[in-house]
Amino acid sequence: MEYAQQIIAATEEIFSSMIMLDVVAGEPCKRSNETLKSSVSGIIGLTGSSKALLGIHLPNSLAISVTTAFLGMTVEEVDEDVRDAIGELANMLGGSLKTALDPSGSNIQLSMPSVIYGEEYAIDSLANAITVAVPFDLDGKTFMVELQLRKDS
Amino acid sequence: MGKTVLIVDDSNTMRKIVSRALRQAGIDFDQILEAGDGQEALAVLADNKVDVVLSDINMPNMNGLEFLKAKAEDPAIKDIPVVMISTETGADIINEAKSYGAKGAVKKPFTPELINDTLGPLL
Repeated sequence: MEYAQQIIAATEEIFSSMIMLDVVAGEPCKRSNETLKSSVSGIIGLTGSSKALLGIHLPNSLAISVTTAFLGMTVEEVDEDVRDAIGELANMLGGSLKTALDPSGSNIQLSMPSVIYGEEYAIDSLANAITVAVPFDLDGKTFMVELQLRKDS
Repeated sequence: MGKTVLIVDDSNTMRKIVSRALRQAGIDFDQILEAGDGQEALAVLADNKVDVVLSDINMPNMNGLEFLKAKAEDPAIKDIPVVMISTETGADIINEAKSYGAKGAVKKPFTPELINDTLGPLL
């Protein structure tokens, strides 16, 4: 699926170089509109010659363990540190995808990342967008990185 | 004698990660200072002797490029070297940062080795 390899490469690089964790990519698939439960999502937008939303969605327990590894200190609940860490993950994923879509860096702009979290929530789709989602395994748990992309030119 | 570094990033997580990478890179820092945006960074520079600044680009209030421009206009701090650490490393934005005085750029995600290779010649 288009852009799946870029998502996989970016996610693997970020987790191995910044967090020292090895993730295993699963089979890319179409985006699901299922509600997310007890999860934390980092979302970042791209605008310009392409419009995109890139999201990373982790169950609470995985968000907490990733943040613990990120910071090098124990985190026990979805607090400000967790939300900040997941937002930063989205930021780095967005940066990698932006480079893939626009090597010059001048035709696409990144938004500030947003973080959504809670017991149950859903994230709407971009209209007329190509979608791709890649599940990743980390310590026997799954998180998802998904891209919705609409090219306007 | 160790150096003083200022890390400028709106993400507390990223400031901690950069601090850790600096220690892992083996660079001899006596003090690591932090700021959440360009405005805070200017205030820190006014009150502290800083040897090098590592700054993100995309930040609220005052972003990295605005910080570079403001710093360049202050004779007391204009010569302090600044390295950008950012997801934004397209040629246009990096050239713009360098036109305002940035000495280099490190792309996120980064390794301690890359930090050392970029900062080493500046210290």
